Amino acid sequence: MARVVKTQVEFEGRFYDEYVVIEGEDLPAWRADEKFSIVGQSQTRIDGVERVTGAAKFTHDIQLPGMLYGKILRSPHPHARIKSIDTKRAERLPGVRAVLHYQNAPKIPWRMGLTLLFDQTLRYAGDEVACVIADDEEICEDALDLIEVNYEVLPFVLDPVKALEPGAPKVHDSGNLFQGAPEIYERGEIEKGFAEADVIVEGTFRTQVALHNCMETHGSVATWEGESLTIWDSTQHIFGVRDTVAQALKLPKHKVRVRKQYMGGGFGSKNSAGKYAVMAALAAKMTGRPVRVVLDRHEENLAAGNRPSSIQTLKVGAKRDGALTAIYHKSIVNLGAYTAWGGGTTGPTRRLYVCPHIKTEDVCVFTNLGPFSAFRAPGYVEGTFALESMIDELAQKLNLDSLELRLRNYAEIDPATGWPYTTKGLRQAYHRGATLIDWQKRTALKEKDSTDTKKIGFGMASQIWGGSGGPPAYALVKINPDGTAVVITGTQDIGTGTKTALAQVAAETLHFPISLVKVELGDTQLGVYSPLSAGSMTLASVGPAVRVAAEDARKQLMDVASQTLEMPLDELEIDRGEFLNTRTRERIAIKTIFEKLQNFMIIGRGARGPNPEKKSVNTFGAQFAQVEVDTETGRVSVQKIVAVHESGRVINPLAISSQLEGGIIQGLGFALTEQRIVDERFGLVLNGNLEMYKVPTAQDVPEIITEMIDMPDPEVNNLGVKGVGEPPIIPTAGAIANAVADALGRRICELPLTPDRILKALESQ
Amino acid sequence: MKNFQYVNAPDVEDAVSLLQEPGTKAVAGGTDLLTELKERIKMPEILVNLKTISDMKYIREEKDDLRIGALATLSEIELHRMVRERFPILKEAISVTATPQLRNAATLGGNLCQSVRCWYYRHPDVKCWLKDGDMCYAEDGVNSRHAIFGNSTCIAVHPSDLAPALIALDARIRIAGSEVEGELLLEEFFTLPTETHRQSTLLGAADLVTEVIIPHRFGPSNGVYLKAMERATWSFMLVSAAVQLEWKGDRVREARIVLGGVAGKPWRVREAEAMLQGQTLSEGLAQSVGEAAVANAKALKHNAYKIPLARNLVKRGLLELTRRKA
Ligand SMILES: Cc1cc2nc3c(=O)[nH]c(=O)nc-3n(C[C@H](O)[C@H](O)[C@H](O)COP(=O)(O)OP(=O)(O)OC[C@H]3O[C@@H](n4cnc5c(N)ncnc54)[C@H](O)[C@@H]3O)c2cc1C
Ligand code: SF4
Repeated sequence: MARVVKTQVEFEGRFYDEYVVIEGEDLPAWRADEKFSIVGQSQTRIDGVERVTGAAKFTHDIQLPGMLYGKILRSPHPHARIKSIDTKRAERLPGVRAVLHYQNAPKIPWRMGLTLLFDQTLRYAGDEVACVIADDEEICEDALDLIEVNYEVLPFVLDPVKALEPGAPKVHDSGNLFQGAPEIYERGEIEKGFAEADVIVEGTFRTQVALHNCMETHGSVATWEGESLTIWDSTQHIFGVRDTVAQALKLPKHKVRVRKQYMGGGFGSKNSAGKYAVMAALAAKMTGRPVRVVLDRHEENLAAGNRPSSIQTLKVGAKRDGALTAIYHKSIVNLGAYTAWGGGTTGPTRRLYVCPHIKTEDVCVFTNLGPFSAFRAPGYVEGTFALESMIDELAQKLNLDSLELRLRNYAEIDPATGWPYTTKGLRQAYHRGATLIDWQKRTALKEKDSTDTKKIGFGMASQIWGGSGGPPAYALVKINPDGTAVVITGTQDIGTGTKTALAQVAAETLHFPISLVKVELGDTQLGVYSPLSAGSMTLASVGPAVRVAAEDARKQLMDVASQTLEMPLDELEIDRGEFLNTRTRERIAIKTIFEKLQNFMIIGRGARGPNPEKKSVNTFGAQFAQVEVDTETGRVSVQKIVAVHESGRVINPLAISSQLEGGIIQGLGFALTEQRIVDERFGLVLNGNLEMYKVPTAQDVPEIITEMIDMPDPEVNNLGVKGVGEPPIIPTAGAIANAVADALGRRICELPLTPDRILKALESQ
Repeated sequence: MKNFQYVNAPDVEDAVSLLQEPGTKAVAGGTDLLTELKERIKMPEILVNLKTISDMKYIREEKDDLRIGALATLSEIELHRMVRERFPILKEAISVTATPQLRNAATLGGNLCQSVRCWYYRHPDVKCWLKDGDMCYAEDGVNSRHAIFGNSTCIAVHPSDLAPALIALDARIRIAGSEVEGELLLEEFFTLPTETHRQSTLLGAADLVTEVIIPHRFGPSNGVYLKAMERATWSFMLVSAAVQLEWKGDRVREARIVLGGVAGKPWRVREAEAMLQGQTLSEGLAQSVGEAAVANAKALKHNAYKIPLARNLVKRGLLELTRRKA
């Protein structure tokens, strides 16, 4: 029977109450000591062969007969109003099929109504002006040059502090401050906390704009069959794209089908539908042909979102024994022109440590720059860097080991809600990490290996994040007449190994070898809803539903088998994909029972149950960094990262270690090399390409040692899993920054720690 | 990318005559030119493919020198026996150039004639002075990657890693064409752009590099190429230093110090070289030479770090050569 329940869902550090339908009964959680043959084993990707042979079809690979191409004309000005647009010359160019712009396209509200699909006001250099549809991309580019736009150039503002000054140019009529006020959180009395402190440290920390640089840029291919629209979209949320496109085009949802089989990275930037999807759909309708609109690298780095920059001021008070008495944390975040939510950075400050008096203020500001979007643990990467730097400073001032200081302020229950955690393995992560990096011997190691020009340093940082996942998420598990199984869900594999993990859960539950389990996902037409793949929630949301569906299928299979084979149920088992009569030891192929059943097919159904009430579900971890700073060249090379995390039960150790390594490498880029560079006079992004925007290369990657505290969570869901997609990027920059400060004997409070910053600090010594 | 015609050049003479047509551009490995075409920074109507010229792709050992055809790829040069044995500075410079994939396609001629990496120049929407526009955008803009030496309207730095190393080896270059013809010192081949010649080389539109000649002047293992980058690899230099020493016993007989990433052309610092003549190398001398190398440097708003960086690389290079000698 279907039940409607209210449940609390956490997403990207925020909590939402939702009503969801839960079908059927949930299963009790797997026991902590449950014996498995597939779950918990390292499993290479079930679609690995497709990926490495090139057979895997990404959105970029979709080629449809008669397909046309679209290219977007973007504003060259950071703030302007289109006075007029003349597309006649472009339209006359042979091969051009259509030009969409504000005068001929429907007025479709976009980004929470802050703009339109084609707006007459342009709020950053890169905002969409028009879209040319032509026979190939070269013709599109030629046509873009022929569009004549008469712009009224408007005053603009790029600096978030200036944007808040009276008389600053307004990015939106509603003002430059997101939602008209800072987001303030308080517990206790902050002044009292500082009055009680024996020691106070203060600092201002700056973080840069980071660009996702997904290998596969954002894009869609759209085609119509009668009144039905199909979109292939490089997305983390097929159902979200379906809903947004359906609403934009005023179509019933069931007329829109969204597909996505393989994806080259999203990292949060593909959480919602992009304008390109609607443009492709509109153009396909106008031309009667399939249309592909895919961003190039330059556009990707202008318009596809970013991790916004922040200016964070922190003040931390403590007793002489290290007990925190007060933390004040103010963060000014540069959202750019548009946003989906505030994007503050003070989350870790509220949740990481026991501290009676806390005040945080997130001031999120619109400016005339490219828009903010989620980027792997939005806010927490930046906030953790600032907070954990400050904790290090405090430790130094108190003459305490910084790990000891962290342990002295360890939160046994959630300090923000007062609720107990379902599980918390941070203490174990601290201890294990410290052992792996030889934390206690670091001073000796430093002295041994440092030279006049090469300074060794050690640092650490902690990680807290959500990752509970939650309903609604549904799954079907089919058992085919040939004895194979198919998992069907509406989720998507964004490259993290979702398919493989779901196959492991189903195979374990069915007692099938994993080779007999196929996973179908990435298609709204499959009919079963799953949430977006973001917020570290995919496996923790969809996995439990798959287990219920597989168990349902297994039970049905046993029932049918017992009757067709005329064997009592208690003598029958499934073992490695075959029936086993436990009395006679006879093995029977599963397909034999279907042979008698006229193509009968078993379909098991499952739903994700609600999250526990009044409990906090969090993921934890600690990272330790060893760096070498070359004082002559200013280059920081990271020599070693030790990462120990706790995210509940480990389903696939191989996939988890890849997630950790990937997060760490991305965090290393944030710490050392990645930054969007903008010309302040023109609002132009100067390094929107992979040559000038420096992501880490294989040679930049240090020795990485990863370990999980494998701690099945008995309450979060029936698998005991929490998310792990975002956690590993959170503490990396903080750990590296602390190690660099240790090496240099002074702290640079601005990321990334580039050679020019290091040399400047050294020269001014 | 704008559509263009593609013509295979059978030999140097034909290539030169094809290139006289306005709107024509030569292409070798294409690793630089193609990115400019894709970004619509250059939009030639005709591309003349040099790779079909058979007698421009060689590495030849002769009695007095090593001759490298302009079409030799960076990988071929890097792997060549004599380069590895006698000109380690060149091998080192190539091994930190771009990536192995790029080095397999990139040619010597293309490397010396590549365009600057100034982000205003490379920005499709900016028409700066070097692209025949009116102003240098970097002067009052973000100039953290720009020059600390040399006065020109353009303050972009020359990006080649091979050029400083080759100049430190006293290499010569051979040119065929209509405006320039014959052989000259590679050092003289590079120029700071002027109002009427907005280029970093002497070449006219229809001139081709055909060969680079490295004389057997210096003994083996006497050169070092150090390159500071933002990350471990696959980056243009922030600053680089090519240091080549000729020893006489314990003393330096002659020195070459050429800096990369500091000026519109590879920047040879003769005053610093002269300080080494006849000296034995000590840490103190290396430091003074480093300081002398940047004595005339002038920082822009965002690139002051290049001065200590260049100083330190010179010092490190000298000490490294002393270490290798011992
Ligand atoms: C991502 C990336 C990173 C790079 N990193 C580095 C680096 O670290 N260090 C470095 O030194 N370089 C670097 N490069 C530049 C690279 O070395 C050059 O692109 C390459 O050497 C050019 O050679 P090519 O044969 O491909 O030239 P092409 O692209 O074919 O031509 C480049 C230019 O030279 C002209 N040209 C070519 N041959 C001749 C000739 N014989 N006579 C006259 N003109 C000629 C062409 O007309 C064109 O203007 C990098 C390039 C890329 C794309
Ligand atoms: S430095 Fe040269 S290339 Fe760069 S903007 Fe100035 S003129 Fe153009």
